[in-house]
Parts: sequence; C-alpha cells; structure tokens
Amino acid sequence: MGKYILKRTLNSILTVMIVFVAVFMLLRLMPLSGYFPPEMIKETDEATRMTYLRNQGLLDHPIVQLGRFVKNLFQGDLGRSLTVYPKVPISTLLAEKIPVTAAFGLASMILGIVLGLSLGMLMVRFKDRWGDHLGTGYILMVRAIPSLIYLFFIQVWVSLWLNLPMVFDKDIPSSWILPVICLSLGSIAWYALWLRRFMVDEENKDYVKFAMVKGFSKKEVWKRHIFKNAIIPLVIYLPSDLLFIISGSLVIETLYVIPGTGGLLTTAIEKQDNNLVQVIVLMYAVLSVLGVFLGDLLIAAVDPRITLMEDN
Amino acid sequence: MEKKMPELNPLKFRAKVFDQMLSEDTGYSNYSYWRSTIRTFFKNKAVVVLVALIVLIILMSFIYPMVSPVNPNKVALKRTMWNNRPSWEHLFGTDGLGRDIWTRAWYGVRNSFLLAFCIALSDVGIGMLVGAIWGYNKKLDPIMIEIYNVITNIPSTVYLVLLAYIMNTSYLTLFVSMASRGWIVEARFFRNRILSIRDNEYNMASRCLGTPMRRIATKNIIPHIISLIIMEAALCIPYSIGSEVFLGFVGIGLPVDAITLGNIVNQGRASFTLHPYQMLLPTIILCIITVAFYVIGNKFADASDPRNHV
Amino acid sequence: MKRLIALLLSLVMLLSVAAVPAMGEDLAAAAKAIKESKTYENTYNTYFSSSYASFNYYSTAYATVREIVANCIDGLVEPDIYGVYVPSLAESWEVNDDQTVWTFKIREGLKWIDHTGAETEYALTAEDFVDGIRYIADPKNDAYSLRVVRNMISGMYDYYWLLDDIDCELVTDKNREDVVASFDEMVGVKALDEYTVQYTLESSAPYFLSLIESSMLMLPVEYDYAMALGDDFAVDNEHMLYCGAYYVSEFERDKAITLSANPYYWDKANITLDTVEYQMIPDGTTSLEMFKRGMIDYTSVESEAYDSLQGTEYADKLLPTSHSFSTNYLWLDFDGENTEFKTFINNENFRKALLYSMDREVLAALREPVDPARILRNTINAEGAIYDSTGKDYTDYSPLKEIKETNYNQPELAREYMEKAIAELCDENGNIIGVEAGTVDYLPVCSFDIDGKLPVTICYVGTDDEEEIIMAQLFKAMMEESIGADYIDFQIQAFSGWTYGTVADPLNYDIYFDSLSTGYADPSGILTRLTTDGAENVGCYNVPEFDALIEKALAAETFEERLQYFAEAEAYLCGNGFVIPFISSLRGYYMSNSIPYTSPRTLYGNEKYKGTLVMAEPLTQEEFETLKAAYEIERDKALAGN
Repeated sequence: MGKYILKRTLNSILTVMIVFVAVFMLLRLMPLSGYFPPEMIKETDEATRMTYLRNQGLLDHPIVQLGRFVKNLFQGDLGRSLTVYPKVPISTLLAEKIPVTAAFGLASMILGIVLGLSLGMLMVRFKDRWGDHLGTGYILMVRAIPSLIYLFFIQVWVSLWLNLPMVFDKDIPSSWILPVICLSLGSIAWYALWLRRFMVDEENKDYVKFAMVKGFSKKEVWKRHIFKNAIIPLVIYLPSDLLFIISGSLVIETLYVIPGTGGLLTTAIEKQDNNLVQVIVLMYAVLSVLGVFLGDLLIAAVDPRITLMEDN
Repeated sequence: MEKKMPELNPLKFRAKVFDQMLSEDTGYSNYSYWRSTIRTFFKNKAVVVLVALIVLIILMSFIYPMVSPVNPNKVALKRTMWNNRPSWEHLFGTDGLGRDIWTRAWYGVRNSFLLAFCIALSDVGIGMLVGAIWGYNKKLDPIMIEIYNVITNIPSTVYLVLLAYIMNTSYLTLFVSMASRGWIVEARFFRNRILSIRDNEYNMASRCLGTPMRRIATKNIIPHIISLIIMEAALCIPYSIGSEVFLGFVGIGLPVDAITLGNIVNQGRASFTLHPYQMLLPTIILCIITVAFYVIGNKFADASDPRNHV
Repeated sequence: MKRLIALLLSLVMLLSVAAVPAMGEDLAAAAKAIKESKTYENTYNTYFSSSYASFNYYSTAYATVREIVANCIDGLVEPDIYGVYVPSLAESWEVNDDQTVWTFKIREGLKWIDHTGAETEYALTAEDFVDGIRYIADPKNDAYSLRVVRNMISGMYDYYWLLDDIDCELVTDKNREDVVASFDEMVGVKALDEYTVQYTLESSAPYFLSLIESSMLMLPVEYDYAMALGDDFAVDNEHMLYCGAYYVSEFERDKAITLSANPYYWDKANITLDTVEYQMIPDGTTSLEMFKRGMIDYTSVESEAYDSLQGTEYADKLLPTSHSFSTNYLWLDFDGENTEFKTFINNENFRKALLYSMDREVLAALREPVDPARILRNTINAEGAIYDSTGKDYTDYSPLKEIKETNYNQPELAREYMEKAIAELCDENGNIIGVEAGTVDYLPVCSFDIDGKLPVTICYVGTDDEEEIIMAQLFKAMMEESIGADYIDFQIQAFSGWTYGTVADPLNYDIYFDSLSTGYADPSGILTRLTTDGAENVGCYNVPEFDALIEKALAAETFEERLQYFAEAEAYLCGNGFVIPFISSLRGYYMSNSIPYTSPRTLYGNEKYKGTLVMAEPLTQEEFETLKAAYEIERDKALAGN
C-alpha cells in the first residue's frame, strides 16, 4: 500500500506539472494587446504600453517567466494580479475570497449530502409511492427548469415572500439562507438520484433476496448491505467535493453578490490576467488530482473487494 | 402462530405420458434480451404517452419551421411591437425586438435538439467504450488516469478561450467545445461503476474460461450498466442547453441570428422579472423534453434489467 | 419638428421667466418649502455595479475608481452647485494672460488622514501636487491615461520618454537617478513656496480647471508614503491617505465600501452625510428591487423596467437623468481585408448612405422610452460640455450646428446615395470593380466569403452585451431596410471579452460600436486623437482636411477662434461620415431618495456627496420638476453674475 501511495503521489505531481506548464505556455500565446483594457489602449500609445509590459516582466521569454514564477512560488510569493485587480497581491486576494466561498461551499455540501441522502432513502423506502413521486418531482424540477430561471425566481420572489435579504451581507445571518439553499439544490438532486438508482439496483440483487429469505430483518439488510453497497460509488466523489468547496458558483455568487472565488477564473481569463490565471489553475490542478487520489484510496478502504495495488 | 401444512392433492402427482417432440425441445427458449426489454418498456402507459409527446415535439420542431411563413429573426422597428403580451397574432407574445416567440421557440427546439443529440451521442458513446475498457483493464488504469487528470485539470475556460480564438462562432465550434471533455468525464463515471462490478464472480469465472476482455466488456458489463447509459444520455439535453449559456459567456456562442433554446433563455434572462411570459413557452418545452427523457430513461433502465422481464 | 417645438417652448419659458420675476420667486419658495418639509438622514446607501479593482488613482485603467476618489481626494478646485469653479484645496489661483502659467495658493495647515480617520504626520503642501506629477511622470509607476497631461505640462513629455529610453537602454550616457533628480528643472510644475504650486503648460489652456476636475492624474500624493509602499500603494483602503470630504473606513473587495466623513475636513460645514455605504449590486433588476424594499437610496431604471413600473406606486417617482458627455458612435474600417466593404467605405456617397440609414430615435428608445429624441447626438463632442467665454455652446458654432440639427433618419436619401455609390463603383452586372471573390479572415472574430458582387457584405462586430446585441440587430434591420437588402448584406458578429485589442486594433471588423467621452471643457480632448495619425483613428481613414483644421485650431490665437476651427473640423468628420455618432450614452431614468441640486455640479468629474440631502422616501417627479425649475433660474442668475 505504501508503495502504491508513493507511486500515486509522484504521478500526481507529474500531472500537476504537465497541466501547469501547458497552461502557462498556452497563456503566453495570447496577444499582448490583451493585457490592456480597451480604455487604456485608446489612451496610450504603443511605446507606453511596451513600457508597462516590460515593467511587469511580460516581455521576457516564457521560460524565463516560468522560472521566475516557480522561484517566487517557493518563496511564498504568488505574484500580483495584472488586470482584474491591478497590482493587488494574489495571495491577499485568495486569502480574502477563499474563506467566504469555502464557508458557503461547506454549508451547502453538508446540506446537500444530508438532504440528498435522506431524499434518496425516502424514495427507495416508498418506491413507486408518494415518497418516490415527491423525490422524482423535485429532481425533475431541478434538472428540467433552466437553473437561471429558478435561481432568479428564488432571489426575487422567494426572498420577498419570506422577507429574506436579496443579497448576501456577512453581518446578517439570514442572508446566508437563500444562497446556501440555492447552492445545494443541484447536489441534493444528484445525491438523491444516484442513491435511489444504486439502492434499487442493489435491492434486486440475489444476495439481498437471499438475506431476506434467510430471515434477516429488512432494516438490518438495508443498513448493513443495501445502503453500504449503494453508497460506495458515491463515496469516490467525496474528497473532490470537499476540496472543491473553495471554487464557488459563478451564477449564484453573482446573484447574491458573494465576494468569493466563483467568477475569479472566468474573469481572469476574460481579462487575460495571466498571473492570476496561472495561480488559480495551479491551485485547482493540485486539488483535483488530490481529490481523485483520495477518492480512490477511500473507495478501496470502504470496499474490500476493490484493490488498486499492482498485482505482483 | 403455527401454519397448517396444506394437504397434498394426489392428482397432481401423476406420471406424464412421454412426448417425443417435447423432449427434443428442452434447453431452448425464444427469449431475446432486447425484444423483452422493449416489450417490458412499452407495457407502461405513461411511457407510451411520453414517447408520443416527444415524437410530437420533434416532429413539430422539424415541420413547423419548414411550413411557417414567419421569419423568426424579423426585427420590428417600432417600439410598440417590442415585448408585446400574448395575443392572437403572437400566441406567446413578442420578445425585446418584436420577434414572434412561438416561432422562435420551435426553431430553437429543433436546433438545440440536434445539438444535444450529437453531444449525447459523442459523450455517452465514446465515454461508454473508453470507460468499459478503462474499468476492465488494470494495466490501462494509470495511463488513463493521467489522461483524465490532464484533460480535466486544465480549466475548460482556458482552452475554450483559445478555441474561441482560432475558430468561428458556429454550431461546429459549439459542438467541439461541448463534446471536448464530456466523453472523458463519462468514461470515468463508467469506469468507477465498472470498478465495483468487474470483480464479480461471474466475470472472474468468465475470464478463467478464457473469454477475451473485449467480449466481457461488451456482453457482460455494458448491458449491466445500460440503464446508466440511458439516463446519462437523457440528462445530456438539459446539460447541453445549460452549457451553451456558459460557453456564450467565454465567447463560444452561436452567431447572433442562430436560435437555440439556450440562446432564447439567455436573452430572456435579463427581462425575466419584467416579462416572465416570454420565458413560458421555451421553459415548458424544455421541461417536457427533460422530464420525458428522464422518465423514459428510468423506465428503460428498469425494463433493461432482465430480472424485470416476463 | 420636435426640435423646433422644443426651441419654441424654451423660448416661451425664457420670456415668461424674464417677464414675470414673481414666478421665479414662487418657484424658489416652493422649492424651499419642499426642502423644509423633509427630514434628512445621516447615511446614504447606494451601490456600484462592477467591482473596484484598486484605489490607485494614478494607475488604474478603470474610470469607476473615480467615483470613490472624487470624494476622498480633493483637487485644487471644484465646481460649486452651479458648475462654477470655486476653491477646494487651493484657496485662490492666478493665471497669466496667455493662460499657460497657472499658480495656485494651497490652504494652510491641512494634514493627510489615514483609513481610521486619524491625522497623520504628513502635511498637505504644494509639494504634494508637484509629487503627483513626479509620480506619474516616471514610467516605472505605470500611470494610465497619461497622454493628455503628459502633453500638456511643459517638459513632461521629454522627461517621461528620457526615463523610458534609459529603462530600455536606448540612452546609456545618462544615469536614471540624475534624470529623476532633474525633475524640478525639466518639468513645468513647481512649488514656489510651501503653499504655492505653479503649473507651466505647453500651450494656452483656458480649460485647465476643467481638466483638474476631470483628471485623477492632477490629484496630490504624499510621495514618500507612496514610494515606501511601492506596488502596494492604494491596493486597498489601508494603503493610502485621504484629504477629501470622506475617507474609506471599510473596504470589502467586490462587496462593500464605507465612506466616513473626514473629521478634519476644511469644509466640514458642508458635509451633510456622516457615512456613505456602498454595496455591490451588479444586476439592474436587483438594485431596482432593493430600492423598492428600501435597502438602497438610489437606483437606475432601465427602459424596460420603466414600462413595468407604470401604474405602480413608483410611476410618479421616475426621474429623468440629466446628461452624459459620452457619445456612442459607429467606427468604420477603411483598410480592412473585406475588399467589398473597403471599396465602398472609401466612397463618400456610401458613407452618406450609412449616415442617413438609421432611425436613431428607435435606437434611443432602448434607453429613453419617453422622449428618445432627448438623447440623440449627431456630434462627437457633447452639447453642454464646452462653452466659449461668452457662454456660447461649442456645438452651436457653425457648421457644427447644422450637423447637430440634421435629421439623419432619411431612408430615401440613404437609398439614393447608395445608388450613386453603386453607379461609381460597380459595373452594370452588379460586380464591384476591382474586387475579387475570396475569403475574409477576421479571426479570431470571424471569417466569411465574399463574391465581389452586390450586395456589399458588411461585417459588424460588437460585444456580446445583451443591449449591444439588440442594438446591432436594429442596425441590421434599419440599414437593410433603408439602403436595401439587395445592396448590402449586414452580418453581425458578437465578440466577448476585451474587444479593442482583438477586434478594433487589428482591424478585424467593418463596422464597430464604441463610445467617446468629452473629458474636459475643450474639443481637443477627443478631436486631436481622431486625426489621420491619431491614437483613436483605428479605422485608418485619411483626412488631410481635418488634420489641417486641427493644426489651425491648436495654433489659434483666441479660444473662440480655436473652437471655430475645431467645430469646422468636427463637422467635416461627422458630415462626411468618417465616424458616425448617433446617440449619447445616457440611460433614461432613475429613482432616488436624495434632493437634487444640493451637491457640486460636477460635469467632467464624478458625483460628490458634499451637500447631498437624503430623505427616508423617494423624491416624486413633481417635487423634482419644481426643484429643477427653481435651480435653473438660480443657476442662470449665478452664471450671469460670473
């Protein structure tokens, strides 16, 4: 096992490096004019712009820039934002934004798992009866109606109806309610949908029927066999989900004006803030590789039938 | 409470007369997996209704644009024609530029449907095959994981922006960008599923008997997860509409006069609180399509389980 | 016709005001009664729609920062409530006869304060204004929008480029430190004594005060403080110093900003609000909804929302916005790869066909549903922005006046001009002479095929902003209707992100939509950039006549003569369709809880909260009209007395 972990770790580092270098180089393919907002191109001449680029070190060879970035990285300096938040240190930005998004992410993840699994179990318990129909109705609604429409509806009308704040305000606890609910709507449906699917699959299996015939109580079989087996395919995503609570939702954070990381990457790419893009890419790459790794370890730990080690 | 043993009826225990024909017939039934699946599937009344509804919507969306004289992109130059409420002339009103929403919706359904169909085909088709091979073959695992990691860890926005830089706004670009990574995500999903079932005893037995890997994947595993395939495919349609909105955001939209449900929803979003009725028709159609596909997918999944066959 | 009626009406109003002075007094009394009947609050809640990236007032590309800076860093002068320049940090000023040397006497005893509102050891002196220029004149500090100031203050241009050449190692015989040390000799800004600062300009600039109001580059800085912070200067509220009516006491990036009144402010008597609370609300629907719920004191009302508010309790609270100096115009590509369009656009008749092809009122109705004509604009420089010494508006100079008053919605004329252009440029079979079929490569925007025949393919490129797409579709409909779809084929390409560097600059368009803004009280701000080799001439047209007129204007003896030449130049450019301005950027309506006309009338800069009176409930249209009428009478009096 130790050998496997070591190998996977080295592998993960390799992945992160490939991803990061690829993105770093891709970003340098962007045109130089992209570093300037339109107002600035109009206001300045070519020479002033080149001066600016030189000051930022953007005219150096990409390899030199990469070297500098890596060197600074090891000294704990992530660089400064170029266009989105001119000159603001990226570490400051992340330190401001990640806690906000993570708090929302964690809250909605817990809500999503708790409600999603409960709903899923309700659906199986009352399969083809009211519970199942209720759950199916909910899942269908979330999936079928374009999210923009129901999110808007919740923000404008539900907030009015329940007298809740329309935008997030860190000093008003009730302003957390709607965004957290909105964030978890999708994952509740996801967990419920797949838990139901997997549990139904499991319920039809011969060993379950056999256990029932042998006289185990239904409750016992459910708890010990069906639920445990059905949850395994879902467990693999847990570490990723947990790590990625720091990447927020673009739409919901915009609607409720949550100063989080949701729109950061998109905005940074849109405005060609390469310094910011590369840091975020690096961060997400690390987290995501780690997430998969932990997911595999976890599934191997909870399901003794699965072995990921090399066969000797 | 103690149950009483039922009394045996001696009549039922007579010797049967030997029949030459029947004795030859043993061991053969005309059971066909797919035929039984289809038969079980269509036994459900709701399914028949939904399939009919879907067929109707698809037919309507293909035929209506062909016969309708109304130009869906006809812009009205009078302010009084903008944002009209539903009337006999415009059944579902007009949008911010005086274009007929009823007509646009059908054009949108047609285009979105075609797009979603292509994406579902590529995502689930490729994803399923790759996932089956990936999940079954342990040797491939590290390489596939590496490919998966690299593809999924480059944030899509990064390469989408570059893609937008080298390609036109067109349906092809939209398709390429939407399908660019769905297949590997699907593949991983199937791989994880297969990981849980590949070491089942019957597969191990099959392998011991020397069945080639390809055959095990296609005959034993894919039918087993066929329900998952159908459901994933059904969910592709609302997904593709949602991601179209996002892609428009990074610059891979469609040409301005192309009409898709995603486009319509996106354009109506700004004035949603002011003119909710503009969203009514596209949303209803979208809901019907999604719900129908979901239910059909679910019922088909049930029907595809041989244990539910009659 | 509408213009005529408007003119007559205003004449009648003017006459009645003159004839019945009592009416003016009545209005004043009514306005006073309104003001006295209200109770006022100490806090103003408002919003911003896009985030403040940084507070660095010298090196930000985002003009929105000015909204905050205008209240936190005072300049030398500021407008009073009628728009007349009055002392701010300068107590008084003098100017020499040819208006090239401006001397300001600074208020004594002021200190910079920090983000807690406490006084720092840094005194506010003349040297801080010199240091502001010193800071921006160094290319290492990356000041943005530098052009106007750099070309205006004598010696600054040479100083900047000398330093830049040294940094690029083009000049090696000079030492950077020595050049920096010679700033005081080289650049025309000096502290004559501790409280006197003097600017020496390259040429006569009667509009210098308006530049001080509009340009953040003219604001003072505590040099040692800023240099010690380096790149950290003004990245947030804690890394800067304040000398305005307010300081930024709290700052939550992308979320909220709180301005608190400066306890040591020189003009404390006129501060009416203790705090101004900003929160970020990017969406127009949300701000409207929050205004209705009483969460904010101001909201803009978009055209569509205007309609939906009719018949509600808010119908009588919609107030018309006053002015915008920003002009929307169409930019034409005279040297693109699309040879069909290139052939035609270099033809005067075709440009005139475009000029006359749009119903500008329909476009305006997207923003101003009630009186769209109010926001039409046929000139580049805005009406009401620039006046000569007699008070005559620049846009009333002939021949610009004729352009301003032309009705460009003449489809028949457009068709006629197009036919003339076709007669000149095409053979009888509809082949465009000298144009081969081929593929036009406007990537990354688009690529398309041309066949060298009529209709002329026109590739319009705009951003993917919702309103802009709607506008583009209207352009298409209008142009194809008036010029004829048999003659032109108008294609729309929406492009997301920053379009200038990818679309406009590399000429990846045929027609492009943009805006220009009159930045200070002189036409040169925009017009000198529109010359053949000007920075703003991205369409690469060739206009020697225009260049000559600009030369003449810049060399003019008097300000009136200067304006006359500028007016001729602008009329030439607009009348011949080299650029096509069509409406102002004004957005029609707003609702507010504050009393208008109580704070400085900032024309070129941003709103100041000094003097703002905030009520608990929205102002009604009726009250607004009364206050407006009373204000206009007073303003005419104040301006006449000046």
